[in-house]
Amino acid sequence: MVSTLPRHRTEDRPGESAALPPDPVIEVYKKDIDRSLLRENLKLTVEQRLDQLMEFQRAAEELQRAVRAAHHD
Amino acid sequence: MLRKNCSAPSAQLTMTDIKSLLRLLAGNHVEFIVVGGVAGTAHGSARNTLDLDVAYRRSSENVSRLVACLSPHAPYLRGAPPGLPFRFDAETVLSGLNFTLQTDLGSLDLLGEITGGGGYEDLLPDSIELQIYGVTCRCLKLRRLIEVKRAAGRPRDFDAVAELEALLEEKRNE
Repeated sequence: MVSTLPRHRTEDRPGESAALPPDPVIEVYKKDIDRSLLRENLKLTVEQRLDQLMEFQRAAEELQRAVRAAHHD
Repeated sequence: MLRKNCSAPSAQLTMTDIKSLLRLLAGNHVEFIVVGGVAGTAHGSARNTLDLDVAYRRSSENVSRLVACLSPHAPYLRGAPPGLPFRFDAETVLSGLNFTLQTDLGSLDLLGEITGGGGYEDLLPDSIELQIYGVTCRCLKLRRLIEVKRAAGRPRDFDAVAELEALLEEKRNE
């Protein structure tokens, strides 16, 4: 089934977020996940999430440029 | 809010203009599904990713549209030495499958198939339509994204899979 969603939603029907069978390795990694970041992101629209990613890339690039410049001084 | 860095790039960072790439592809009626890290971000992931991965439909009409709209943006094989006789045309795309490209809009991976997920037609039923940046584009559903990442079985993805599964749990609790 092909579905359409409002811009702020990325799941479309009950059951879409049903649990997957647990993988013991992934369960170990899951303990270290900062869920507060995820909860904040879930408050944003999809567009805001992607804008945030690009903003992060831009800042990281700027930081890298500054580090390179410092090494050349 | 803070964003975690998922993989250290081997070379310098290059920003990918996700907004322009999505507008370009969708605006030119290219049939594609956003997969990979950007799909994770769309679902709420807090991890950084530097490229846009899309599964594209491998029909000759769609590949022609893809080539026509991307060609003005200087697509070239990412990481390849300059000067290779690489020609980005429909024949090249249809002769190959997956292409990791650098364009003047950033890094774009064109995937004819993804491990554990198959091609565009296989993924389509597990995709959702997003209205974003003034265009409509498709994105792989979170559950399917987790399944394909699990199927790939790459240790470097374990942390990402764990985060996506945590997201799924958070959505269940919303």
